[in-house]
Amino acid sequence: MREFITGNEAVVRGALRAKCDFFAGYPITPASSILTGFVRVFHAGGGIAVETEDEIAAIGQCIGAVMSGARALTASSGPGLSLYSETIGLAQMGEVPLVIVNCQRMGPATGGATATGEGDVLFARHVTSGGYPLPVLAATDAGSAYRLTYLAFNLAERLRTPVIVLTSKDIALTRQTVDLDAIELAPLERRLATAPDRPFAPYAINAPADVPAFAPIGGQTRVRFTGSIHDENAVLTIDPARIERKLTHLRRKIDDAADSLEDTEPDLDPLAETLILSYGSADGAARVAVAMLRESGAAVSRLTLYSLWPIPTRAIRAALTSRVRRIVMPELNIGLYCDAVRHITGPLPIMSVLRYDGGLIAPQTIVARVRSCDGDAAACSALSPVEGSSCRC
Amino acid sequence: MSMLTVQRNDMCYCPGCSHGLLLERLGAAMQRVGLPTDRVCIVSDIGCIGTADRYFECHTFHGLHGRSFTYAEGIKRVRPELTVIVLVGDGGCGIGTAHLVHSARRDAGIKVLVCNNFNFGMTGGQQSPTTPELGRTATTPWGTDQRPFDICRTAQAAGAGFVARGSAHAEDATDLIEAALRSPGFALVDLWELCVAYYVVTNKLAPSGLVELSRRLDMPFGILENRPTAAREPLGGAAAASRDGAELRVTTAVPRLAWEGRTEICVAGSAGQHICSAAGVIGEIAVAGGLFAAQQDDFPITVRKGHSVSNLILSNDAILYAGLDHPDVMLLLSEDGLRRLGSLDALAPTCRLFVDDSLAIPPTAAAVHRLDGEAMARGAGRAGAALAALVHALQVAGRIDGAALVDAARAALCGKYRDANLRAIEFGLTLGQEHAAARQASGNAARSTS
Repeated sequence: MREFITGNEAVVRGALRAKCDFFAGYPITPASSILTGFVRVFHAGGGIAVETEDEIAAIGQCIGAVMSGARALTASSGPGLSLYSETIGLAQMGEVPLVIVNCQRMGPATGGATATGEGDVLFARHVTSGGYPLPVLAATDAGSAYRLTYLAFNLAERLRTPVIVLTSKDIALTRQTVDLDAIELAPLERRLATAPDRPFAPYAINAPADVPAFAPIGGQTRVRFTGSIHDENAVLTIDPARIERKLTHLRRKIDDAADSLEDTEPDLDPLAETLILSYGSADGAARVAVAMLRESGAAVSRLTLYSLWPIPTRAIRAALTSRVRRIVMPELNIGLYCDAVRHITGPLPIMSVLRYDGGLIAPQTIVARVRSCDGDAAACSALSPVEGSSCRC
Repeated sequence: MSMLTVQRNDMCYCPGCSHGLLLERLGAAMQRVGLPTDRVCIVSDIGCIGTADRYFECHTFHGLHGRSFTYAEGIKRVRPELTVIVLVGDGGCGIGTAHLVHSARRDAGIKVLVCNNFNFGMTGGQQSPTTPELGRTATTPWGTDQRPFDICRTAQAAGAGFVARGSAHAEDATDLIEAALRSPGFALVDLWELCVAYYVVTNKLAPSGLVELSRRLDMPFGILENRPTAAREPLGGAAAASRDGAELRVTTAVPRLAWEGRTEICVAGSAGQHICSAAGVIGEIAVAGGLFAAQQDDFPITVRKGHSVSNLILSNDAILYAGLDHPDVMLLLSEDGLRRLGSLDALAPTCRLFVDDSLAIPPTAAAVHRLDGEAMARGAGRAGAALAALVHALQVAGRIDGAALVDAARAALCGKYRDANLRAIEFGLTLGQEHAAARQASGNAARSTS
């Protein structure tokens, strides 16, 4: 059945579908209705929703809850993600399955609380110290916000890692028509549980990319948790071999799974000379632009990226069919992700279509950019920021 | 059996440091209370005391500086049967003051043991929030002129049920810890200690000096608060039935609405005019009636003042792009709305623009209709006027079949505003019909005179 819901409502529904039973958050536009949504749903039971004194407490309570056996989510916007930063590192080091939704808004700082922007696409990947990877997904609309929130729980549980789901103001607060029941979801995954009859070491693994088995704090098996560098028993270590083993594991469990973390939707034309690479709330306009271009007889391909980190390298390479000569990439920021994919796309020119004044990129703007770039990359002319777009070749 | 598995001298602390003694007292107090090892979780903060969790045979959690209160509260919420003990230093109570205060205010049910040695021992003996006045540290080599942070009074002011202060070197410290462990709600014990590596070296402090210091600072030892509080368990809980939010859905069968193409609608007015609600009601009816809708609102931070603009797209096909670039129907209901939209230059001649009677508008190519806002408010109420105006406009613009809309609305709408919304829709349609009748009459009159 179709419903008329916001992206934030879709996030709540996706989390509930993933059996989320703990939410802690601090009010912030445009994420607040995720907090109020959970408060309403859990009021009569089925889970715990907490409004905390700040974002640090929100993510801290989530981590305590998750290590006690809960399935938790916290949600905020850019300023809140900044405050989560240190604790996301704790979730990495302690291997905590946790879903974090970042409803992006115009930044930096307070920026534009009720204005859109998608400037956190690199920040999400590099959100904490140390440089270790974590999966980052990006919704394009309410439907994908539902699917990706659910998926994020599966990835978090499978890999025992924090997972960030990005939306933005125009996804979070825009009401859209969605049939949630028609969205295909993979079976629910739960973290690997420890065997009750074996001695338990909280971080025991056999191979670097393995994920340690879990026992909850408060269960019969005594559990140790630490955010300091530790051995398999969660005891502080200064042994270089154990340190190297632990940190290699933090990298390998994500990087080795990179192929399975790719989540993209290709719409390819083997004759295409232009590939439109889209993610986030610019994707809808990209889809309309592709339809308009094809109607006028142009051969054009589109690849929608729902997973941003690890970079979906395989799907991007597969979308670069033999005739593709340029990539057009709409982004609601200063061209951040374009720089991230450049080492995969090689010498092909990437024509950015950028907007960061709080408005959306219109399909016509993308169409105009594809046509203006037709034939010669150098002919691509820059529009002034006043018009809301600029172009980089 | 004690949960403490290591003796003082085998711990990592400097010889003479109070931490080992304090941990032995904690172990003894836990033993007196008779807690089973799998029913206790020790959450250690950062600093020298942050290494203490490893000496206990129970659940342990070691996290970030000042945030131990938050992990403890999360654990306690999910596992209310556990005794959750926070081991935190004076530094942790400074950087984590907000959590300490609000955990106490919420009566979070955690037990906080403050290992207070008046300086940052692990990082080289810098001033901490509890360094006494005149205290010499690495960052206050001539003695600090700041007042020390009174952790106990802060916890008391926040509503903590049990608060005590003492010397880690006094025998009654074990009693204070035991009393805290036995109290049902948020409990805090501030135990004063000696940091033999730094603070004692520059301030010549001995165990007996702690009592004197307590007098000098007017921070008395003993139980300062012992107010029975009911242990408040969190609402819900992991054991309760799981939900998927399905109860939020409307399941009534709604007659299908006929529609052509994509219609872009913009309603611009002021906060308090229920602009977004009006667009939302039409969107809900449309979606329930089988159409696709997208609604994007624009309002300032203060929701009761300033402009309120709602962009609504209705379509037979899925709406991929929710931006509104070429409105087909636009309503201007207040000066705020007009100011927000600015120029009306870009409106096409095909756009039907409905303007409140009171507004003077700039030149536009759109076809302008005037709305009697006062009549709308009289007929539909202030809260329903925007919805009535929107329905009226859609009907005048020939976008909706009034009877079908009312049928769909009756089946689709629910909640406490259902009846008010239905009345507004019906009033808007009546006005629209009157308008159509008037046009027809004037058309007939024009024909008959020609």
